[in-house]
Amino acid sequence: MHIPDGILPLPVTLGGYAACAAAVFFCLHRINMRPDPQADIPKAALLTAAFFAASLIHIPIPPASVHLMLSGLLGVLLGFFAIPAILIGLFFQAAMFGHGGLTTLGINGVIIGFPAMAAHYMFRLGTLGQQGPKQTAAFAFLAGSLAIMLSVLLFSLLLVTAVPADLGAAVEKTAIVMIIAAHVPLALIEGAITAMIATFLLRVSPRVLHGV
Amino acid sequence: MSCRVTQPGSSVLHRMDPRFRLVGLFVLIFAFSFVSDFRLLAAMLAFTLILFFLSGLPARFILQKLKLPSLIILVLVLVLPFVSGQNILLDLGFISLKQEGLYASGLIAARFLCIITTVMIVLHTAPLLTHVQAMRAMGLPWIMADMALLVGRYLEVLGSDLKRMHTAMRLRGLNSSRPGLYVLRTRAWLCGSLLVRGLERADWVYRAMRLRGYGHSRAATSQFRATALDMAGLAAALMAAGTVMGLEIWLGL
Amino acid sequence: MNLQPSSALEAEKVSFAYPDNGGALHDINLTIIRGEKVGIIGPNGAGKTTFFLLACGILRPVFGKIRLFQKPVTGREFNPKAALVFQRPDDQLFCPTVREDVAFGPQNMGLESKEVEKRTWKALHDVDAASLAERPVHHLSEGEKKMVSIATALAMQPGLIIYDEPSAALDIRTRRRLINLMPGSAETIMVASHDLELVLEVCTRVILMDQGRIITQGDPARIMGDAELMQAHGQEKPHSLIPHYFQHQH
Repeated sequence: MHIPDGILPLPVTLGGYAACAAAVFFCLHRINMRPDPQADIPKAALLTAAFFAASLIHIPIPPASVHLMLSGLLGVLLGFFAIPAILIGLFFQAAMFGHGGLTTLGINGVIIGFPAMAAHYMFRLGTLGQQGPKQTAAFAFLAGSLAIMLSVLLFSLLLVTAVPADLGAAVEKTAIVMIIAAHVPLALIEGAITAMIATFLLRVSPRVLHGV
Repeated sequence: MSCRVTQPGSSVLHRMDPRFRLVGLFVLIFAFSFVSDFRLLAAMLAFTLILFFLSGLPARFILQKLKLPSLIILVLVLVLPFVSGQNILLDLGFISLKQEGLYASGLIAARFLCIITTVMIVLHTAPLLTHVQAMRAMGLPWIMADMALLVGRYLEVLGSDLKRMHTAMRLRGLNSSRPGLYVLRTRAWLCGSLLVRGLERADWVYRAMRLRGYGHSRAATSQFRATALDMAGLAAALMAAGTVMGLEIWLGL
Repeated sequence: MNLQPSSALEAEKVSFAYPDNGGALHDINLTIIRGEKVGIIGPNGAGKTTFFLLACGILRPVFGKIRLFQKPVTGREFNPKAALVFQRPDDQLFCPTVREDVAFGPQNMGLESKEVEKRTWKALHDVDAASLAERPVHHLSEGEKKMVSIATALAMQPGLIIYDEPSAALDIRTRRRLINLMPGSAETIMVASHDLELVLEVCTRVILMDQGRIITQGDPARIMGDAELMQAHGQEKPHSLIPHYFQHQH
């Protein structure tokens, strides 16, 4: 779901950075309004590191294996720390593995981060008041799969329309639909895993589920 | 006492002030992403090669990093020649190889290669967390800087926690027969356990930080000192980027 | 209880419980005089770590008062006079490199950078870890991490250092280095440990805790030599206090 370097035109990549900067500014502002923002930083950081490590877990789905993104769950647990966390994760990925893209850091932050925030709000509003296992599982499933589908939507729209080649409307439409369709199984798997993790956390350590 | 962290390597690039190096990198790679004229592409590739020699990094290092090109790039490079453009170079019956598409493929591939090679070369001249400290020195908000430094510090710790838990699971039959949702559930529990451990550890880390005065003094000691050589290096990068972009605009007119 | 002018730590009727009701402390009364080397022994869950966190102001007692060097502990200030060395070095070392971690405390004390440097290098030399200064923390062995985490405390030059299970997970050689280092590391030290031989070697007074209370305190050999008392509180008489009827062959 990361757009690599070399594809997108400069206005789009710079626009991505601008959008992310604005989002980060807003999030940091909200974090700074808390009574003790410093107390939350180690929690946010350690969870981010855990998500990063967990994204290296692969699920064997024959014939291949899939790496999880868990951006929905990340949004749910980290809240306003989600976008900073995602940017940090993307930078580390680009620096450590050359995976992802540095000119496209901003735009990838938008692709993954904005849906993560959407997932956060959806889960929190959905489980407001009712925090039983069924509601938790249901909304976690929705959060997990929604985050992926929104990311895929943004990803495919950007990639297909901004690629430096003339594709024609029909080809573009087909490509977008194909990319989205191909990711539906992944979204369902991520939704299922997010639901299972949320249920696990509810049983074992509800504090984690309350987020940072 | 110099507080510079050094990696194996003593090239010009290694010795540059990390802040100037990062700014130069970003300016260059954005300039690269702007290029579409084939002559400038060739110049870009040549520049990248020169940078590689200047860095003193071994060839197999870069080749290793480039071993797995992005899947997306691969797909685009293979598909675009057949779906984009009007001028047909080769008619294969139901599909045809088009000139514009082929050019677009080459463009994407060249830009991608130059950018990630440059990124790999520059970022590997210092530990990751040095780059974060350089960004902090240049104004990265303290919340993000502190978070990034902690993420960098604890990534390996949590990675080894994960490995150990995974091994424990395998020793109790994780990979044997039971299919389907069971597979998903065990991975979910693994993730969940890692998150719980992460948060518990975070409590202790915060206590350790408070015990040693975290938040008590915001005195950010700048450990970086720029020299004339650093400024010259940055100036060179800016000039190269400016020239490339200027030429691109001029050639495109 | 009167204020003792030479006290490092005073706890007066301290009680505490975590919100989930785990790990409570009941009516702890205790004075540590400056210069003492005090050992705290007791089974897991006795409340040793909880007491340390209260002493350093990380936790606030539900009832009672704590004073560090005659000043009440409020938890709102940074008090470099007391340092706590955690059981797990990975919880304590949070900076990218060793040198930065050791320098962290002195920097936050508002010291000048020359003084910070001086203290950092002295602390690193004291634990014999100067060669590790520029290494990333996660590249160190467990023993090296433990030495560095002690250095982070030494750099603040505290009057009181509290060691929580210092010899856990250490190999024999590193344990010996630790035992040699501890008595001189600060004017006053407190050590919680299951390593009873370490406590015997290092401490001049021992406090036995169990289920959140102080059971008894006094001379280490006398308390730890009382086999019945030790067993009643999940401990054992240390090997070196057990009379040897069969002499070792030399």
